[in-house]
Parts: sequence; structure tokens; C-alpha cells
Amino acid sequence: MKVLTLNCGSSTVKYKLIETDTEENIAYGKVERIGMIGASIEIVTQNGKKIVEEQELLDHVMAVDAILKMMIRPDLKIISDFSEIDAVGHRVVHGGETFTGSVLINDEVIKILKENIQLAPLHNPPNIQGIEAAKAVLPDVPMVGVFDTAFHTTMPDYAYIYPIPYQLYRKHAIRRYGFHGTSHYFVSRKACEKLNCKVHSCNLITLHLGNGASVTAIKRGKSVDTSMGFTPLEGLVMGTRCGDIDPAIILHIMQQEKLALYEANNLLNKFSGILGISGKSNDMRDIEELYNQGDNLARLTIDIYTYRIKKYIGAYFAVLGHVDIIVFTAGVGENSPLIREKSLEDMDTFGIKLDHDRNEKIVGGKDGVISSDDSKVKVVVIPTNEELVIAMDTAKIVKKMGKKLKK
Amino acid sequence: MKIRKIGIIGCGVIAQGIAQNLAHSKLEVIMYDEKRYWLESGLESISVAIDNEISRWGLTPSDKKAILSRIDITTRIQDLRDVNILIEAKGKTFEDKKDVFIEAESVCSDKTVFMTNTTTISISNIQDFLKFPERLIGLHFIPPIPKTPIVEIIKGIKTDDEVVKVTKLLMETLGKRCIEVYEYPGFVTSRVILPMINTAAQVLLEGLATAEDIDAAIQLGYNMSMGPLAIADQIGLDVVLSYMDSIFKNIGDPSYRACPLLRKMVREQKLGVKTREGFFKYDEKMRRIKNY
Repeated sequence: MKVLTLNCGSSTVKYKLIETDTEENIAYGKVERIGMIGASIEIVTQNGKKIVEEQELLDHVMAVDAILKMMIRPDLKIISDFSEIDAVGHRVVHGGETFTGSVLINDEVIKILKENIQLAPLHNPPNIQGIEAAKAVLPDVPMVGVFDTAFHTTMPDYAYIYPIPYQLYRKHAIRRYGFHGTSHYFVSRKACEKLNCKVHSCNLITLHLGNGASVTAIKRGKSVDTSMGFTPLEGLVMGTRCGDIDPAIILHIMQQEKLALYEANNLLNKFSGILGISGKSNDMRDIEELYNQGDNLARLTIDIYTYRIKKYIGAYFAVLGHVDIIVFTAGVGENSPLIREKSLEDMDTFGIKLDHDRNEKIVGGKDGVISSDDSKVKVVVIPTNEELVIAMDTAKIVKKMGKKLKK
Repeated sequence: MKIRKIGIIGCGVIAQGIAQNLAHSKLEVIMYDEKRYWLESGLESISVAIDNEISRWGLTPSDKKAILSRIDITTRIQDLRDVNILIEAKGKTFEDKKDVFIEAESVCSDKTVFMTNTTTISISNIQDFLKFPERLIGLHFIPPIPKTPIVEIIKGIKTDDEVVKVTKLLMETLGKRCIEVYEYPGFVTSRVILPMINTAAQVLLEGLATAEDIDAAIQLGYNMSMGPLAIADQIGLDVVLSYMDSIFKNIGDPSYRACPLLRKMVREQKLGVKTREGFFKYDEKMRRIKNY
């Protein structure tokens, strides 16, 4: 089945065309600057041919249309006709409490998504625009929504309710939702596959360390706790987000610096984390370079970053009782032996022993075990592939719904 | 109507605020004025305003790059021919504004929506001089424009309802709440705030309290983010005085008869933030110096 996955931002669309029977990428790319002068569309074909073109793309409908037209171009020969696309899978950031798994999109689903906008005011509106655009361009093709929050809906209430007045949960749905669910789901399954164990009989801690970062405790295949909360701001230190801090700090700074809400919001989301501590960059690669040159703030950044990871690992050990596998994924997790090593340093008593040489070798999109053979807890690096999960879920749901495939 | 490119006539404080706000909302802007160095200095002021925002975490360096990349400048009015909205924020008098729009009509398409930022000038009177008067609408922004989430929109007698709709859509894109007001000097915001500023100045003149204490009393007593004298410094005392004189002349209400202290300060060029001294003093980054 050919599934087109779409990940829509306010002025961008990232897409991938995947053959789900073989799990092959047929083409991928992105559209940028939608609605602006200099809008562009990029496509990369299976054999690595890359094309970037400027086009007038005033809205998401035009963007999706342009993606499809690019795919039927005779010189690229990606598909010969729109009808070859069997389904579209949409990444949707926030499913609220309603969506515990991926769903076939219908009018009722769109209505609920619109009601959830208040929970994710930045992310859900462009996701909905993307759905409506795809419906306009491919009206007869089934569409599925895959939610970042869905995997975490198995968390018990004591893990997701905040210790603030309970009426706020009832009134405004203030609770922990967790994000990166698709990634945690994918790498936990892949890790079990790689280590030949059954996901429903092991416990994992999965670390998604990208520009955003989160860690999840997975008990017999289900998420029982995760570090991101009501928004993706809670938890680990991230590229520009602060993660866990004393909430009174925000009130104090707002009063001291006479900050408006949006300024405080920016301070925590865009000026904190790795960028905030180092003062140099939000990219861990830059920080590691400075660290190697002896920069003290880079050293501090890495120490805080890895110390917080270690604290979460310790906490999730306690939550899970025992841990079989620890997984590293996403930009930093897949590419930084230093961060992996420092995060797991001196954890022999937990049964975690890293193999230095293996750790050094697994970078650049490779997967592999990085713990030593006598380590009780296996540590693995698994490159994440959220689009594949979206495509596979979409195919599964469309097949189940008995939709006749157009061939 | 898809809003693509917006023209701005003028490059002073109001025009800069509008340009920054539009560009931050991902719209392409072209600013027109007669002299290149005025425009360049306008751009420089936008850059400084953004730097101030960055220093208090309001915007990021990448926001700055994106905003500045969307603002183009020109000294050729013909370059405004492709814009679908034209906002005038330059003319101080009725004559200025009328002439600007007559010239703009000769350059822009018949469909271009014209907007003028004004506090006291009649939209309907300008419409009398236009070939397509239904396209003109009035706006009243309040500085600092990128941060103030309110704008008054003023319909002239001949303004088309479609133009009102486009204006509301644009203001929504800028994150502003619109209030539609009848055409009357001062509209709502200036009509209400000016007598308060005037009375605060009068109270100061009479020696009832210090400027600091007058502002503290009103700010804390009525939960405002700034006191009336600080607001006057922000607007510019010369601007406050000209609005008062104009409204007083138009409607004859004595609440708008300017307090002598205000006139004296304008004569002394103590105009507020822009001259770094008004009711309060300001440092080179336009921040208020405490305990003055």
C-alpha cells in the first residue's frame, strides 16, 4: 500500500511517500514558506535525486497539490497517477484525552481536533489545515490521524494528574499528556525486535534526545510514565526549552523583569535549555566541540543535560521495578557517544555497563547494542522513524476498515 | 482576498511599528518614503526595537532575521503598484493624507485597499477626493504597535463592507482585537485617555504630588500597566498636545483644553521618550531612569 505521510506546520509541510508492504521510502521532501514570497518545494527521490523549486504556494491546499504534481512529473516517475496513493497519514501533535490510538479521519474527528486546539494552539491548527488540504486535493482517499500523545494514554492517573487543585483538570483538562509518542513506540518495538525479546514481557526506558527531548518508562509494551507533561516544556533539558524547573521561578522572573506572558513563554521555550546555559548554541554538536576545547560553560551544559537524564533513568528504574532495555534515539541520542556515556556513567549497581568501543562506533543513523555483554540491562541505539509508524498505522487502519484499494 | 504584499507609506515610528508587526506575522512589506536615508534610518530603528525585544526574551535572533528579510524599502512610489493593501502612516495633516492617496490611486490597481492611520482626521473627507472612495478605511494603532493588541477601525461614509472584512482579517493576522468605531475625532482610545493625561499634568502643575506618585496612584489604584504621565511620554507630548488642540477645536469640550504645563514642556522640547525627557527621564535605550 502506498501511503503519503504529512507533517504540517504553520508554513511548512514535511512529507514522505512510503510503500508499507516493503517499508520502503519512495520519495520524501518538504514545502517551506507557504503563503509567503519565495515559497519552495523540495523532493528527494529513491535514488537520491533532489529537486528544489520556487513556486507560488499561497496555502496548504496549494502545497499538497504541488507535492502530488511533483510526484507525477514524468521526469521523476515517482507515481504515474494520484490514484496510486492509497491513503494519507497525518501527524497530529495533540489528541487530548479522546484519541488513545490512530483513527480514520471523518467529520466527527475533525470536530474533536478543533475542540482540542486550546491544548496545542501552535501545533494543532496547522495539522488540521493539512488534513483539510489533503481532503480537498484527494477527496476519495482515506486519511488517518496519528497522534504524538496517543502512546502515553496508558499512563495511570497518579502519573498524569498534577498536584494542583483537581478542578483544574476537570475545567481545563490540565494533566500530563506526554509527546514523541510515535517515536517512543517505534524504538521500543524495534529494540525488542533487535534483541529478540517480546515487547509485552519486557520493560524499557526510551530516550528520545533531539532538539526536543523526552524519556519514557515502558512496562510490558505500555507507556507508564514520560517526562513531557501538559506541554513539551516539561522534563529533560532540551535545545532551547528548560525542562523541569521550580514553577515559582517563572512568577519571580515575571515580577522582577516585568515580563509579559509571551516574553516569559519565549524565555522558557526559546532561550533556555542548551542555548540558555551555554549562551552559544542550541545544537549539541557545537556544544561538544566547545567542550573538547575546554569551554567551561559547555562542560556545565553537558553535565546538567546528562545529569538530568540520569535522574530520570533512576526514577524510571524505581517506577518499573526492573529494566531490560534502555534505548537512545533521535539526533543527539543516535549520534553522541559522549552524551550516552555520561548519562549512564557509574550506573553499574543498576546493572548498566556500557561498552566504550561499541558506543563510539554507533553513530550516523546506525543501530546497535552499546552495552557490554555482561551488562544486565541492554543499551541500544535505534534510529527513530516516526513517518514509518504513521504510514504503517494508516495502512493497518485503512485495511481494517475494509476500504477498497484503488489500483 | 489573499493578502500577499503590503505597502506602507512613511517610515516614522508608526510606520516602523506597523512594518515590524506585519513582517512578524509573516507578511511581505514594502516601505516607501521620499528619502533613502530616512528609510534606512527607519529600518535601523526597527532593528534596535527588535534588539530590545530580544534582550527581554520577547523575540529571538532568528525572528529578527525573518522580520528584516520581509521588509523591503523604496523611494519609487511606482514600486507600490503590486501591493494589495496600502497603509499610509506619514501624513500629519488632512492635506498631506489627501495628496498621498491621490498619488497612490495613480499607481496602484483599482482593487488595492487603502488604509490610513489617523487619530483625528476624517476618512470621509479624504474619500471625497478619491476615484474609488469605497476602498479607503481608517486605522488607529496604539504604540508600541507590535505589542499593543488593540486597533480601532474607522469606516468612512463610503467605505465598502468588503474592505471592512479585509481589514478585520488583516488585524486578526496581526493578533489584534479590532473595535469598529464611528468617525469622530479621537475615536474611543484617544477620547478617553487624553483627558486623563491632561488632568494628571494639571495635578502635577498644581503641586498635589510628584509625577512618580501621580502615576503610581493611577497605575496601582486602577490596575493599569502604566500611569497617565508615562503613557504621555510614550505617545510624545507634542503628539498629545496636537491631538488635544484638534479635538478641542472640533468638539469644543473643555476637557480637551490643554494644560499649560503640557504646552510649556512641548516648547522646551521635553517631548517624552523620543527626546529622552518628558515627565520622566530615559536612557539611551529608551528605558526609564528610576528615581527621577
